[in-house]
Amino acid sequence: MALFLDLAKLTEGADAIDNGQILNLGVMPTVPYEALDGYLVIDLSDRLAGSFCAKTLGLYGSEVVKIEPLEGDPLRKLDHTEDETDESDSPLFLHLNVGKKSLTLNLDTAEGKEILGILLQKADILVETFIPGKLASVGFSYEGIAKHNPGLIMTSITPFGQTGPYKEFKYTELTVFAMSGAMHREGLPERYPLRYGAEVAQYYAGNSAAAATTSAIFRRLKTNVGDWIDISIQECMAGHPHQIGRRAPFIYSGELDPRTQPRVSAAGAREPYAVGTFRCRDGHVSFLPLGPRMWPNIARMIGREDLMYDSRFNDPDKRSFNRKALEDIFQSWLDKRTREEIFIEVQKAGVPGSPILRSDEVMENEQFESRGFFTEVDHPTSGTLKYTGDPFRLTAVPYKKLMPAPTVGQQTNQVLKDHLQLSSEDIASLKEKGIV
Amino acid sequence: MSKEKVSSIPGFPLEGVRAIELSEIWAGPFCGTLLADMGAELLKVESVQRIARGPVNPPKRSGAYPNGDPGERPWNRQSNFNAMNRNKKGITLDLKTDAGVETFLDLTSTADIIFCNYARSVMEDFGLGYEELKKTKPDIIFMLMPGYGNTGPYRDYRSMGMAIDAISGHSFLRGYPDLDHSTNSLVHHPDAAAAVNAVFALTTALIYRGRTGKGQFIDMSQAESFMTHMGEIFLEYQIRSKPRERQGNRDFHYAPQGVYPCKGDDNWIAISVVTEAHWKSFIRCIPLPNLRDGKFSSVKSRIANHDELDLTIEKWTSDRDRYEVMDTLQSSGIPSGVVLNCGPDTYGDPHLNEREFFQIVDHPDAGIFPMTGPVLKFQSNSGVVLHNPSPCLGQHNDYVLGDILGYTQEKMDDLASDNVIGTVPLPGSDLGGSRRASMEPVHRESMSQQTNIDPNTNDSKED
Repeated sequence: MALFLDLAKLTEGADAIDNGQILNLGVMPTVPYEALDGYLVIDLSDRLAGSFCAKTLGLYGSEVVKIEPLEGDPLRKLDHTEDETDESDSPLFLHLNVGKKSLTLNLDTAEGKEILGILLQKADILVETFIPGKLASVGFSYEGIAKHNPGLIMTSITPFGQTGPYKEFKYTELTVFAMSGAMHREGLPERYPLRYGAEVAQYYAGNSAAAATTSAIFRRLKTNVGDWIDISIQECMAGHPHQIGRRAPFIYSGELDPRTQPRVSAAGAREPYAVGTFRCRDGHVSFLPLGPRMWPNIARMIGREDLMYDSRFNDPDKRSFNRKALEDIFQSWLDKRTREEIFIEVQKAGVPGSPILRSDEVMENEQFESRGFFTEVDHPTSGTLKYTGDPFRLTAVPYKKLMPAPTVGQQTNQVLKDHLQLSSEDIASLKEKGIV
Repeated sequence: MSKEKVSSIPGFPLEGVRAIELSEIWAGPFCGTLLADMGAELLKVESVQRIARGPVNPPKRSGAYPNGDPGERPWNRQSNFNAMNRNKKGITLDLKTDAGVETFLDLTSTADIIFCNYARSVMEDFGLGYEELKKTKPDIIFMLMPGYGNTGPYRDYRSMGMAIDAISGHSFLRGYPDLDHSTNSLVHHPDAAAAVNAVFALTTALIYRGRTGKGQFIDMSQAESFMTHMGEIFLEYQIRSKPRERQGNRDFHYAPQGVYPCKGDDNWIAISVVTEAHWKSFIRCIPLPNLRDGKFSSVKSRIANHDELDLTIEKWTSDRDRYEVMDTLQSSGIPSGVVLNCGPDTYGDPHLNEREFFQIVDHPDAGIFPMTGPVLKFQSNSGVVLHNPSPCLGQHNDYVLGDILGYTQEKMDDLASDNVIGTVPLPGSDLGGSRRASMEPVHRESMSQQTNIDPNTNDSKED
């Protein structure tokens, strides 16, 4: 969508001079920076949250070595339920493993464990997602590793954390989201509760884990001492602003927060008329005008200043009472306009609102395009695709090219040579024995 | 004159770090909360000219306040604010005055981090852009996190979590697949995603400063930070040339998956049968003969007959206790979870309680309540959970201006009499937005005057 309100002030290129601020901003490739250069991350995670945590550490310059079983991470074949012969990697795998190196390792063998042990002595960060106790049972307890490598930061990400009665529970995005408190209020009162639209709980926890990990690295700069971080996906989501904001009224006053009609509940029912998601000419638009001070903005936006003096609508209680009539007027304004036109109007009027975009429309959106957020990466089997870039830009840090997700064991030789100083013959013998 | 003292907690990862927060509602404040949970000294800057702690004159009874009572100082008792700002110190400063800006720059010289989730131009308009701050503190780490980033055609657009949810492609994926998007709820999850990414950004910049001595400006786009949580969906579109559609509670790859009713009012269980092994265990747990029907024997056929499968499963779950169903399925290794509500279910959850998810907090104006505590847990400070109450308005003015900056009592009195600092909202400071329904219909005396606000005055809030 072409939505320029302020063409003249559009920044051009890097080193934009912007209101007297000289910032290294503008259109630049969104590729990894070298802020965490030199840190070695061992990624022993399965599934989404741990893998995303390791990936983000890599985006900012860490060397991430992903340890895979000889047959590869099962996430590679996520989409192969119907076609077993398909050799391509799943979109989820490609996204989660951008920039990583792949080392295949058979951890059921003594030599495999020995190689892992040596890597962990050299590592700065270990990201792992085993069922609590599992890693210790195969000889890699935190205490054991820390004895040889006291600076190691071990980031453990599990659905329910390292302790407590649910610690061994099996999970999916759906079941852990259900147990976070986020689901019960989502959806319509007369129907079943709903989850969100993507795998957001796992991503959110993985991102929280990355933030905790960098905090621990910061402390290590001064103390030289590592740490063991216990991240529970359930707790991350249960301790999320949506949930703590809604739990507080319950504990303060006993107020419950059941599923209600989205249009009524969204703004605390204070100005419940232009609130929620509405149909327009070419799709849908979401609105959330907060409080009565938004009312004149909306009346002006829809060209109906007369409504401000209309006896049905001239105070907040009347607007609540006559919500349906007001919504009908609002809807008829929306019906004549496209999402693009409405987005321009809401920005002019100062009303919080935004078009609902499909994934293909997001990729064509000129805001993200102007910032070069989607970045082309070449992958040996999946070809050239546009990937999401980095979640924030460090303007003082140099950047380098984004590397594609590795093929199975792609950097096995390199990692064994670089970090274990093994010779080509050693590696060949390990391969023969089915260890790497 | 500065004493350069940082009163953070020893042993916590961000001990010794002082951060200044200029933020409202969720994205910025929750970033500050996480920093404070990890031991940073977090100074939250508000003003008595602009109150983002719920309405200044709320209804006489409202569930958003302790025991439904807003009390004498509602701004110190509001649930959302008090839940969202633990472990911080609160000061007020009118940054539209020279004295306010001067004080802020004095504070900048003692700080490591400054972050702001207002619209991009707000700090610049105060005369507190990065160039100014850098003159005062060359290695300052300064982050602006407007909705769409600091460059590009949308850089001055106002936004909120739900707007980013829509434009990022997430809203499109939410909702009941058989209904129109107009039944969608508004979700502000992108605020939370931005908050954790902001902590990741600031701590990464702290590491970089620790290794090189250099501070920097961080350009964060809340939208982009959230879109990294949906990367596979954009790749999937390119690979399949078809954008992903909604799937409700189901999954494209396996079946059954859904949320099923249990005994009691509005009680539900979430179940995922991911693998063939799960399915075999599942039909052992649920001894209904029609589950063994040929039309459910493969993943493909279960996906094709999902509606019918759901009806059968529902029949079994609907007269059973939700915890009992979870225990039965989990003990057979099948992913399942009770759909906990945010209130009594979460407070009663044995697992969260064993992990000390809640702490009893004594708030000077709101009283004693169990509140949600920090979730990032470090072995190096196990046993110590940092959970101080959210600050009252201007509660730490004396500490910050007196103890940190070494201002004299006389200077502080002058600032107070000019309303540069204060502890009580000034007339006209009410943003008027309430995020909670009131407990009963009420008269809103103050409303008519609030609607007189100049309609051209935009809210500069970004969250």
